[in-house]
Amino acid sequence: MLQVEHLFKTYAAVGSAKVTAAQDISLSVPEGKLLTLLGPSGCGKTTTLRCVAGLERPDSGRIVIGERTVYDSNHGVFVSPAERGIGMVFQSYAIWPHMSVFENVAFPLRVSRTRRYNSAEITVMVAEALKTVRLGGYENRRATQLSGGQQQRLALARGLVAKPRLLLLDEPLSNLDAKLREQMRFELKQLQTELGLTAVYVTHDQSEALALSDEIIVFNQGRVIQRGTPLEIYQHPNSEFVADFVGSTNFLRGSVRNGGEIGSIGQVETAQGTITCTFAASFSSGSKAVISIRPEDIGLTAAGAGVKGAVTARVFLGEVIDYHVNLNGQELRVRHHARHDAHPVGASVMLTLPPDKAMAMVDEASA
Amino acid sequence: MNPWPAALRWLRPSRLLMVGCALLTAWLVFVPLGALFYTAFSEDTPFGPGAASLANFVHAYTDNHIPLLLWNSVIFATGTAVVTLLLGALVAWVVERTDAPWRELFHTLALLSFALPGLLTTMAWMLILSPNIGWLNTELKNLFGLAEAPFNIYSMWGMIWALSTHYFPLAYLLMGPAFRVLDVRMEEAAVISGARTWQVATRVTLPLLRPAILSTILLLFVRGLESFEVPRLVGMPAHINVFTSEIQNATQDVPPHFGTAAALGMMLLVVCVVGVYLYRRATTNAEAFATITGKGYTPTPQRLGTWRWPVALFTALMFAIALGLPLFTLAWQSLFQNATPPSFSMIGTMTGDAYRYILRYPIFLNAVRNSVFIGGMAATIVVGLTFVMAWIAQRSAKRHGWILDSLAFVPIAIPSVIIGASILFAYLVLPIPVYNTIWILLIAYVTMYLPYGMRFASGGIVQIHRELEEVAEVAGASSPQIFGRVLLPLLAPALLAGWLYVFVLAVRELAASIFLSGPGTHVLGPLTLTMWEEGGSYGAVCAMGMIQIVPLIVIVIVMRRLEERVSARR
Repeated sequence: MLQVEHLFKTYAAVGSAKVTAAQDISLSVPEGKLLTLLGPSGCGKTTTLRCVAGLERPDSGRIVIGERTVYDSNHGVFVSPAERGIGMVFQSYAIWPHMSVFENVAFPLRVSRTRRYNSAEITVMVAEALKTVRLGGYENRRATQLSGGQQQRLALARGLVAKPRLLLLDEPLSNLDAKLREQMRFELKQLQTELGLTAVYVTHDQSEALALSDEIIVFNQGRVIQRGTPLEIYQHPNSEFVADFVGSTNFLRGSVRNGGEIGSIGQVETAQGTITCTFAASFSSGSKAVISIRPEDIGLTAAGAGVKGAVTARVFLGEVIDYHVNLNGQELRVRHHARHDAHPVGASVMLTLPPDKAMAMVDEASA
Repeated sequence: MNPWPAALRWLRPSRLLMVGCALLTAWLVFVPLGALFYTAFSEDTPFGPGAASLANFVHAYTDNHIPLLLWNSVIFATGTAVVTLLLGALVAWVVERTDAPWRELFHTLALLSFALPGLLTTMAWMLILSPNIGWLNTELKNLFGLAEAPFNIYSMWGMIWALSTHYFPLAYLLMGPAFRVLDVRMEEAAVISGARTWQVATRVTLPLLRPAILSTILLLFVRGLESFEVPRLVGMPAHINVFTSEIQNATQDVPPHFGTAAALGMMLLVVCVVGVYLYRRATTNAEAFATITGKGYTPTPQRLGTWRWPVALFTALMFAIALGLPLFTLAWQSLFQNATPPSFSMIGTMTGDAYRYILRYPIFLNAVRNSVFIGGMAATIVVGLTFVMAWIAQRSAKRHGWILDSLAFVPIAIPSVIIGASILFAYLVLPIPVYNTIWILLIAYVTMYLPYGMRFASGGIVQIHRELEEVAEVAGASSPQIFGRVLLPLLAPALLAGWLYVFVLAVRELAASIFLSGPGTHVLGPLTLTMWEEGGSYGAVCAMGMIQIVPLIVIVIVMRRLEERVSARR
C-alpha cells in the first residue's frame, strides 16, 4: 500500500552545515498493516512521516501510495498533500478551536477534491466517524470543550472520516497521561484491525511500538537500524543501540573466543567469565563483542548451577522484583517474578545466562 | 495565642500597604477625571468653573464644524488602523512565521521605531513630503520635470502616512504573539484534509487569527483617535482638525475655553473607554482560544525556499522607508541651517553649527535636565508602585487584588491629551501648589504610565512560580530576605525593562506635557514643538531631535537584551 524507496532529506541548519534528517530510507507497508517508526527524538522518523504526507519535500527518492507515485525525484513528481488521499493525526491534535466537533470532522469532506459530498452524506459520515471513536453525540460541542483524550479521538475521527487509503499518526498518544495512553493504545489497535487500516505510526515510546505494530522500524540518526516484528526486535536486537532503546537490558563486554557466522552459538570472554551466547553478527576470533541479556531472561537461584553473584539491591515493583546482582564487579539487573522466593540484600545467588537469550553484538563503544 | 486583637490583625502590614496603594492610585486616576467632569458640566468663567451648566456641551456640539471634526477623526483613525495593521501583519508574519533572514533585526527595528518620538518622525516626514520644502518632492519634481509636488503631507493621506509609519511596529508587537502561538499543524491538518491554499487561509488561518486582528484594529483605532503629534503638526496647518487638536486649541484660546475642551474631551474619553473595554474583552477571548494547543506544540516556521530573500528584502525596504528615511532626514538636516535636500554636492558644506548652538542653548539644557529628572522619577515611582501592587494582587490579597489591577489599568483608556487637560483643570482648582512646577508633570507621567508599569510587573511576577518563594520560606528566610534574595534578583530584568520603557515614554511625552509645562518648566517635547513652529532653524530643531534619538537607540538595545534574558529563563 505504501512504498518508500531510497528517501533522502537534509535540512539547512544554522550556518552552512546541513543536517541529514533521513538517509536512504526504504520501507513498505502492506495493506491493512500498521508499521511503526521508532526512535529517539531527532532520529528522522517524523521527517520520514512528513515526507510521506507531502508536508516536506524530500531531496531524492520515491514514494508510492497505493498505485500512485506521489513523489519521484527522477521524474520530478510531487503530488501535494491534499491530493494524496491520506489521513493524519498530529501530536498536538491540531483541533481547530473555532469549529464545532462536527465541523472539525466534516472539514475533509467539505474540501474534498475527489468528489462533492452533499450535506446529508456529510451528516451521516461524520456521525459514523464520531461513533467509531466513541464520540457519538458530541457533534455540537465546541472543540475546546473536550478533554485531552476526547480531542485525541476527535483528531482520529477527522483523519478517518474521508476513508483515506493510508493513515499517518505522529506520536498521537504522547500528550495523554499514562493511564489514558494505555487505554487509547488498546483502542487504537482494535480500531486499526477492525477497519483494516493501513497505517504508519511514529513514536519514541518502545512499549507503544511493541503493543501496536505489525512491523517496527528502529531509526537512529537518520538511518534505519533494524526492521522486524515486535518479537524479533525485542528478542533479537541486531545492535547495542536497539537492545538499549527497546526494553531494558544488561551489557557485558568482552572478546570473541572463536569466530562464527551470524546466528551461530559461540563463546565470549568477559570479566565475568566465559559466556556462551548467540552471535547477532558474524565475528572473527578475538574481535570485540558486547553481550546483551534482558533482566527477565537471567535465571536466579539461591544455589545450583551458574555463576556466583551477590544481591546488592532489591526493588519491589508489584508483580515483579528487580534485583541488582554484583557479578565480578559488574552490576546486572535481574527481573524475577514476585511469587518466587525472595533473596535478601547481601545474599549470594547463582545466575544462569541462557545462550539463546544472550545476544553477542558488535561493540560500538570500542569499535 | 495571637497577641494582636482582631481589629489590629485586620490592619496587618500587607493590607495597609494594599489600601495605601489603592488610595494613591485612585487619587491619581479619579481626581483628573473628576475635574474633567466638573469642568465640563460647569459654567466656563475667566475665574475657573462656575455654576452647574450644560452650556459647554451646547457650545461644543452645536458648532457647525463638529460633523467635520467627527468625520476627520474617524477617517484619520480608521485609515491609520488599516494601513498600520497591514504593515504590522506583514512584519509579524515574516518575523514569527517564516524562516526569512534578519528576523531578529526586524524585531529590534520595530522596537526602535516605536521608541522614537512621534514628534520627531512627524517633523521628518514634513521635511520629506511637504510641497514646499519636502526634499523628496523637490527631487521628484526635478527628476520628472513635474510642475507640482507629487506628495502633499498636508492632507488626510499625509497624516495617515505619518502616523502609520510610526505605529506599525505597535501592530506587529500586538499581533506577534497571536502569530507565534498559531500552531502550524492546524494549517497542515487542513492541507492533509485536502484543502486548497485559499481554503486553508479562509477557513483555518484567518478565523484563527480573527480575534487578534479585530482586537488589534480596535486598539489601533483608539490610538489613532488619541494621537496628538500628527494632528498638531500636520493637521493644524492643513486645517484638518481632529478631537485631540481641537481640545488643545480650545485651551489655547484667549480667554481659554476650558469648559469646551472638557466637553469635547468627554466624547473622546467615552469612545476610547468603550474601545479599550472591547479590546480587553476580545483579547481575553483570544487567550482562551490559544490555550487549546497546549503541550506538544512547537512553533515551526514556514519554509519560504527561494522566497526567503525577496521577502526579507521587501521587509527591509519597508523599514528603510518607514524608519530609515525619517532618521536619515533628521540626521542630514541637523548638519545644515536651512532646509537642504540631501545631495552629494552639499556634503562639503556640512556644519556642526546647529549642534554647537543647541548645546549652548540654556533653555534646551534646562529642558534636558527637567525631562531626564522627571522621567527618571516617574519611572522609579511607577515601577515601585506597580511592583508592590502586582505582588499584593497576585500573592497576598487574591480576593481584592483585582481592584488594584483594574485601578492601575484605567489610565490606558484615557488619551494623554485628556490626562494633560484634566490634570491642569484639577490642580488649578485644588489647593495643592503644583501648578506651574515640574511636579504637575510628574503627576501626569505617573498616572499615564501606571498601566505599562503594571504590565511589566505582573508579567514578571506571573513567571515566578510561587514555589520559589515558598521554598525560601521553608528554608527559613524572612519576608525581607525572600524579597531581597529571591524575588528581586529574579524580577530585576523585568523591572529594569519596565523602568526603561516608562522613562522613554516620559522623556518624549508631548500630548499631556503641552498643557502642563510652563515658562519655568520646560521639557523636551513641548520645547521641540515650540522651536519647530516659531523659532530656530530647521538645523537646530533636527540637532535637538538627534540628541534625543541617540540615547533612545541605546536604551532600546539594552531593553532588547533584557527581553532576551527574560525569555531565555522561561
